[in-house]
Amino acid sequence: MQLSVVVPVYNEEANVGPLHAELTSAMEMLDIAYEVIFVDDGSRDETLERLLVACEGDPRVKVLRLSRNYGQTAAIQAGFDHAAGEIVMTMDGDLQNDPADIGRLLARIDEGYDIVAGWRRKRHDTLLTRRLPSIAANWLIRRLVGGNIHDNGCALRAYRREFVERTQIYSDMHRYLVPLLTLSGGSISELVVNHRARRAGSTKYGLSRIWKVAMDLVALKMLLRFSSHPAVWFTLLGFPFLVVAIAAAIFSAYIYSFPGESPIVPVSICLIAMFATVNLVLFGMLAELVVRLGDFRESEPLILRIEGRG
Amino acid sequence: MSDPGSTPPPEISVVVPVVERHGDLRQLYSEYAGEIARLGRRAEFIFVVDHRQRQVLPLLREIQQVAENEVILVRLGGMFGESAALTVGVEQARGEIIVTLASYFQVDPSGLEPAIQKIEAGADLVVGCRFPRVDSWFNRLQSKVFHSIVKLMTGTKFRDISSGFRVMTPAVPRELPVYGGIHRFFPVLAQRHGFDVRELEIPQRQEDAVTRYYGVAVYLKRLLDVLTVFFLLKFTRRPLRFFGVVSLVLVIPGLAITLYLGIYRLLGLGPIAQRPLLLLGVLLVVLGIQLLSIGLIGEMIVFTHARQLREYRIAEIIRHPAAQLDVRGLTSS
Repeated sequence: MQLSVVVPVYNEEANVGPLHAELTSAMEMLDIAYEVIFVDDGSRDETLERLLVACEGDPRVKVLRLSRNYGQTAAIQAGFDHAAGEIVMTMDGDLQNDPADIGRLLARIDEGYDIVAGWRRKRHDTLLTRRLPSIAANWLIRRLVGGNIHDNGCALRAYRREFVERTQIYSDMHRYLVPLLTLSGGSISELVVNHRARRAGSTKYGLSRIWKVAMDLVALKMLLRFSSHPAVWFTLLGFPFLVVAIAAAIFSAYIYSFPGESPIVPVSICLIAMFATVNLVLFGMLAELVVRLGDFRESEPLILRIEGRG
Repeated sequence: MSDPGSTPPPEISVVVPVVERHGDLRQLYSEYAGEIARLGRRAEFIFVVDHRQRQVLPLLREIQQVAENEVILVRLGGMFGESAALTVGVEQARGEIIVTLASYFQVDPSGLEPAIQKIEAGADLVVGCRFPRVDSWFNRLQSKVFHSIVKLMTGTKFRDISSGFRVMTPAVPRELPVYGGIHRFFPVLAQRHGFDVRELEIPQRQEDAVTRYYGVAVYLKRLLDVLTVFFLLKFTRRPLRFFGVVSLVLVIPGLAITLYLGIYRLLGLGPIAQRPLLLLGVLLVVLGIQLLSIGLIGEMIVFTHARQLREYRIAEIIRHPAAQLDVRGLTSS
């Protein structure tokens, strides 16, 4: 199997039929062995029924029905877990991605890249609630977490199988999958893809995710850079507090030398800062323990292929 | 007990944890066994007896000797609580369908038949909802208040999750071990896990109608249990989202207070050293930093165990869509 296409669908009854048709015609032009894995993420409308009707008799289609709505990340992970292709692609189930772009992504993988991410340069979505937050989020992800791509929200992507096998995503992590995969050292390429306006159904996103994204970014920043040596990271975090504590201590001693002046304020600043320092160092040790007990190894090298062994 | 090879395995396993109070176990056994016999099923009964309740063992041995069904007694060495007893009992169960019962009459055995039908029609867990209720207004009020809190915190609509009458497939306890005293919330957790959980109205028994008064500690513990489950449901994957909110709630007022006092001092409006407000501001900031760090450590724990996580549960894999269509038409109704 050369290619697996993972398509999570949630309440897309009007789109699944045309999507399957478009995918099939796009694939016929490519002439490769492929499978399509539709993941029905607990849809409450007729998505599954219409999907089954549309795919009737198509042996290249596999449908995973999740037992309730788990969200996009879990649906994608389910698809990854069942994908057999050498190259694994993901795309949205709402027809906004164009199946005709699949060939271009594959060509880019053939050039030697490990991950090819789609970039919806011309987006057809509402400006205020979708495009502006997305621009801000992508800027933040680039600045804070890395990955260095313009569009972390585009579902149309291609991965070499080794990379998706290695990573387990949970809780909205699909948004940061590319930065996460940079941990494995893959080469990433970006490709401008076609983005179409929604034809049917409604968008499943809203503004409510701003807080979640903010917190996820903080966590991810820590995880990506320091999850192999959290003690170091927490100690570094505590360092500014230590500087403040020492400065405040010197300042209190200085004030104390004047009779009648009370150094309570700098002393209390010194105490908080000391307290914070000690806390952070201790937390760092605890975190170190956690990482040692876990099964995550940042430095574990990713072996892409061993050649010449039967 | 006879050689496991000689008798066919039971179809239904009835697990009864005898942990706290218990009613007339002989009657409980005979009524439920009678109902299962009426339904024409083979059953085994598993009584898990806590150390405190060991005085019921002679009685259970008597039942064991005269019973037509296989009766298994599991004696626990200590006082481990109802969750542990349930877990142990369910591990021993060999039936295709597992029924758990409270150790006193809560609901009428007539509920078994519709519950088993629901399981055989595809449900994973059926919870017996005591209705119509015959007990006092006080019990009902307690239950109402408790369930409205549960509804608020977990977003589920169960009316009687405290009922001990539960009928399930073996997959449910296998995939979702009961632990830490929160067996009460098992239906909520099971639904969250992706199981098909149904509620079934079963007439309440007169024996269950005793008005129950609990101490403050019990109510407090219940409330903490709800909070635990709330946290488990919402934030086990993303602890920072929870700790981050709490941290922010503390740090923002803390910073505001210290800023206010700082400006106050710099403008020379008066000394601030003796003001308790200063201590409060400082305390809030420090607590905020602590909570943020705890959240980060939580994230680290989840991330480093990510490979063992499975967030989803697959209901079915459809490989050849055409062949499956008719089957679905039959089962989905």
